[in-house]
Formats: sequence, C-alpha cells, structure tokens
Amino acid sequence: MPFIIFLVVIVIIVLWMVSLYNRLVSLRNRRQNAFADIDVQLRQRHDLVPQLVETVKGYAGHERGVLTQVTEARSAAMAAKTIDDKIAAEQQLTSALQGLRVQVEAYPDLKANQNFLQLQEELSDIENKLAASRRFFNGATTEYNNAVETFPSNLIANNFGFKREIMFDLGTEARTRMEEPPTIKF
Amino acid sequence: MKYTGLHQQIQRNNTNSFLLLIAFPALLLGMFYIIIYFIARGNGSENPDDSYPGSLDHNSMFLSVVPFILIAVGIWFLIAWAGHAAFIRLATGAKPLDRKENKRVYNLVENLCISKGMKMPKINIIEDDSLNAFASGIDEKSYSVTLSKGIIDKLNDEELEGVIAHELSHIRNRDVRVLIISIIFVGIFAFLAEMAFRSLRFAGRGKKDSKGGGAIILIAIVVTAIAYLISVLLRFGISRRREYLADAGAADMTKKPYALASALKKIATDPYIEAVENRDVAQLFIDNPQVSHRKSGSWDNLFATHPPIEKRIELLEQFSPL
Repeated sequence: MPFIIFLVVIVIIVLWMVSLYNRLVSLRNRRQNAFADIDVQLRQRHDLVPQLVETVKGYAGHERGVLTQVTEARSAAMAAKTIDDKIAAEQQLTSALQGLRVQVEAYPDLKANQNFLQLQEELSDIENKLAASRRFFNGATTEYNNAVETFPSNLIANNFGFKREIMFDLGTEARTRMEEPPTIKF
Repeated sequence: MKYTGLHQQIQRNNTNSFLLLIAFPALLLGMFYIIIYFIARGNGSENPDDSYPGSLDHNSMFLSVVPFILIAVGIWFLIAWAGHAAFIRLATGAKPLDRKENKRVYNLVENLCISKGMKMPKINIIEDDSLNAFASGIDEKSYSVTLSKGIIDKLNDEELEGVIAHELSHIRNRDVRVLIISIIFVGIFAFLAEMAFRSLRFAGRGKKDSKGGGAIILIAIVVTAIAYLISVLLRFGISRRREYLADAGAADMTKKPYALASALKKIATDPYIEAVENRDVAQLFIDNPQVSHRKSGSWDNLFATHPPIEKRIELLEQFSPL
C-alpha cells in the first residue's frame, strides 16, 4: 500500500513537471510568433528607406554623413539573422532615421515635396504599427521571462536551458518619445 | 464599487456564460414539460375510464416530444447562426468601411489588433449622427466592429481608440459570441410567446364550447411569458456584467482609461447610443421583428443592456495609468 501511494505521488510530480515544461515551450514559441509580426513591419520599413534616401538626396545631397548612416544601418538590419541581432540592428536604424529627421529640418523645399510627404506619412504609419507590434512582443517576452524566473517553473527552466530573453526597447531616451504617438517631423 | 482583477473576472464570466447557455435549453424543456403536464391532466379528467395514472402519461408524452423540440431549436439555431451577420447589417444599415476612405479609423483598429496579436475584425460604418458602436460575430471570419459616423467624427483619436478597444475587448473576451447565442434563444422564446398569444385570439373566436382547451392555452401563455421573462433577464445579466469587463480590457489595451471615460461622457449625451443595439437584437428575432421590437423596447426601459454610464466612468477613473 505505501508503495502504491509513493508511486502515485511520483507520477503526479512527473506530470506536473511535464506541464511546466510545456508551458515554457509554448511561451517561448509565442514570443517568437510575436516577433514575426514585428518582422512584417520591419521589412516594410526596409523597403521604404531607399526611396526616402533617394528623395532626400535630390534636395540635400551634401548631407552625405546622415544618408550613409541610414543606408548602412539598413543593410546591417537586413543582414541580421537572430532575434537579438535584429533588435540591436533595428535600434541603429531607428536612431539613424531620427538623425535624418533632424537634418532635413533645414530644407523647406524638401518638406514641401509631395513625394516626400507621402513617404513620410507611410513611414509614420509603419512606425505606429511597429510600436504596436513591439508592445505585443514585449508583453509575450515579459510573460516568458516571468515563467523562467519564478518558482517553481524556474527549476525546469534552469535544467532545460530556458534563458531570460531581451525586450525590444528603444533605449531610455527614445522610450520617453515613444510614449507619445510618434509625430514625425522632417 | 471596486474594480476586481481582470483575469478573475474573465474566468467568472466564462463560467457564468456556460451555465447560462445550459440554462436556456433547460428553461425551454421545462416550459414544455409544464405545458404537457397540464394538457395530460386535462385529457385525463375527460377520460375517467383511462386506467393509466396521469403522471406516467405526461412523462411519456413529454419524452416523445423532446427530440422534436431539440431538432426544431437546432434548426432555428443553425439558420440564425449562419445568417446573423447579414441580419445585423440589414437591421442597422451598416456598410463596410473602406481603408482608403477612412484611414484614421482603420489604423486605430489595426494598431490595437497588432498590439494584442489578434486577427483584425471587419469594420463597418453606419451613416448616422448619433454616437454608437457595437461588436458582433461568432468566429474569426465574422467578427466585426461597427461604428456610427457620429462617433467617428465627434471623438478625438484617443477617445475613439478607447471605444474601439472596448469593442475589441468584447471580441477578445468572446462576449459577442455568447451575446448572439443568447439573443437567438431569447428570439425563440419571443416567438413562442407570440404563438401562444395568437392561439388565444384564435381560440377565443373559434371554439367557445371547449372550456378545457381555453384553460390549457391560458396556462401555455402564462408559462411562456414567464419563460420569456426569465430568458430576457438572463440575457441582460450576461451583457451588463460584460460591459465592465470590456471597459477594463480597453483600459488595459490603450493604457488610457481617462480617454475612454471622456468618450463615455460624450456618448452619454446622445440618447440613441443603445438604439442600434436594440434594433439589431430585434432583427435577430427572425420571425417577427416588429412585435419583438415593440416588446424589447419596453423591456429595455426596465432592463438596460448597459450598466449606468456614471458607474462605468467612475470605475475607469479608478484605474491608475500604467
């Protein structure tokens, strides 16, 4: 009789551990799926950047520094493979685009260009969506990280190589800007 | 009134709606059982030679009728299930919103959906100056958010975002599905009540000689009326609780509870906020929208589909922005 009780207890514990493990796996997958949403927006931004650079070149050709920075950041972002690398590269691209925004402030002709205005609107639309999908991704990441770090699932996480994952932040300075709806001024 | 935890509330609501959905068919069967019981007793008194005790008689009669009732309800249900989206569109005069035509609304909906990782519902617009919005649908293909032109024009971006988030929460919490199922059931009861009333008029003219028949019809009317009343109360019980939950969900989505609160204040100034919802409910009563409409109109004064708006605003203002 005690043996049966012992067996039952063992089985229950094993089943419980399996369910904890499965939960961690599904949370990790959810985070990866959430990143797919971000990826869609990122790809659209990559497509938009060359057009933007071309348009700006026509009016402010001598702002080479900023333009090269943007182009290079874009290639780096497109070359990135893992989620972590992509996040880092995209942060570069975001700040490069912000630099471009500041620079073109000095060109009223450019700001009146119809084509440029349309590109600017598209970019702001994409960045709004990027902000939304990032919110979803960060929510999924937080949930996963909580599961990895809290008891009792952290016991499973430590033994099976579940690690804390990074959020898609924009750094503290950009973060305060993101709290407001991104109004893009060129 | 205190704000209770969101997850706890979702769980409680899901259990409740499941119980309510069982309660509707049970109520229907109970109603038929009582009516058949009285019919059997009526017949029994007319034939005193009958050696069977009355109880056995009405039980077997009831059991033989049950499959037919369930099949009829099932067919009704399937038709309503398949056609509800078209009914709602017809009833409210809503038409699909074009992305190019109204990018602002489209973007607000799309961004909210992206931030919650949900599939985007259809967006409909009603050409009406009052401030209205509702969500409908039963699965991912048919989920839709309908907004009046008035609400789009009169609210600013933040407020409109709050309202859309509220409707999206209804979809996320699966409120719309439960609501439409319950509307269909209430429609069945309304139809039966209507039938009972008609047969009374018919009996009154036709066979004055049969006293027993008249009594049975009277009993049928009373029982149907009570069942109808209970079904209506159940439905309002479902929808009222869910409004608080959807407000909470909206606040969680936008992180701007104050925006939804100020939107509610603006909406409260327009007395027709509930109009669309009532009309669409009426239309879902498949058979006779006019009578049902009159009835639901008077019921609605007593049992509003939404809790008092002041209470909702008060609750929203208790949220601290995160």
